[in-house]
Amino acid sequence: MQTLSPQAAPAADFQLRVSIDSSVMNISEPEQTVSTEPAVVVTDVAGVDVANETTEARRARFERDAMVYVDQLYSAAMRMARNPSDAEDLVQEAYTKAFSAFHQYKPGTNLKAWLYRILTNTYINLYRKRQREPLQSNADSIEDWQLARAESHTSKGLRSAEADALDHLPDSDVKNALQAIPEEFRLAVYFADVEGFAYKEISEIMNTPIGTVMSRLHRGRKLLRDMLADYAVERGYLKDADQLTETEK
Amino acid sequence: MGDCQSLGDCDDKRIVRIYEYLDGALSREDLGEIKAHLDGCTDCAQEYDLECVIRSVVKRSCKEAAPDTLKAAILARLHEGRPASV
Repeated sequence: MQTLSPQAAPAADFQLRVSIDSSVMNISEPEQTVSTEPAVVVTDVAGVDVANETTEARRARFERDAMVYVDQLYSAAMRMARNPSDAEDLVQEAYTKAFSAFHQYKPGTNLKAWLYRILTNTYINLYRKRQREPLQSNADSIEDWQLARAESHTSKGLRSAEADALDHLPDSDVKNALQAIPEEFRLAVYFADVEGFAYKEISEIMNTPIGTVMSRLHRGRKLLRDMLADYAVERGYLKDADQLTETEK
Repeated sequence: MGDCQSLGDCDDKRIVRIYEYLDGALSREDLGEIKAHLDGCTDCAQEYDLECVIRSVVKRSCKEAAPDTLKAAILARLHEGRPASV
């Protein structure tokens, strides 16, 4: 499919997101999948001399710049760890690791993406190791019929009624729906739709090629739609469940 | 369904284009093309609206504030200078 266009033209359109230079995400060696666009030239407004900074100064800078993301990282951790206590441990550990690696972070570059990458790595190391399964493993557990069903739901009809219904879903339903889709789809969707990261940033955060990110997003969004529609029917917001299933033919 | 050829010849491709549009991942030419298409095609415009609603619903639902105790614990550990255990 020729729709991949990560090198968005530098138009003044607000829809276009500026990609970050992947070389700043040097927690581990990122796979250089696509990096043909020029890096954003970042001027170090703070004038930080990272190499000669004292530990105290670095700590102060970290507190000032990184702590503002704690709510966002906690929200993301809740989508990973599934319960508040584990999410707290995860964020705590991610911040500890981020601080010890903070000398590698280039001031003025995308700190949020950098922190998300550390959070995601921490999650994979801490939890997936504990559960003895890799992050990718449960994509296969998605049954074909689930995808086929999600596929058909998105095909036609009832769009405005559906939109109204979904808009009224309580937060708990939405979170449960998100939680019900396989992890790597869920995280990709979360990073894109909630945090607004670009494909390239997500590929760096999740350490996967852009093509994989796109297919995870595609499948994840379809599954999410399907789950949300189920909740809406259950709640009676979509009053005619038959109409929904009609689109499956 | 309107003439959705420009967005792809099946529903699947059509929705991918809408995702990419919302994701800010399209080139300038593609952007203009899909904008023009959405203006003229009710089906695609509704698909677009639905996707916008889903994103706003998910965004709204996933906002959680970190507990103050967590913030305090992070700061406390920073000042211990304790290295990461993992």
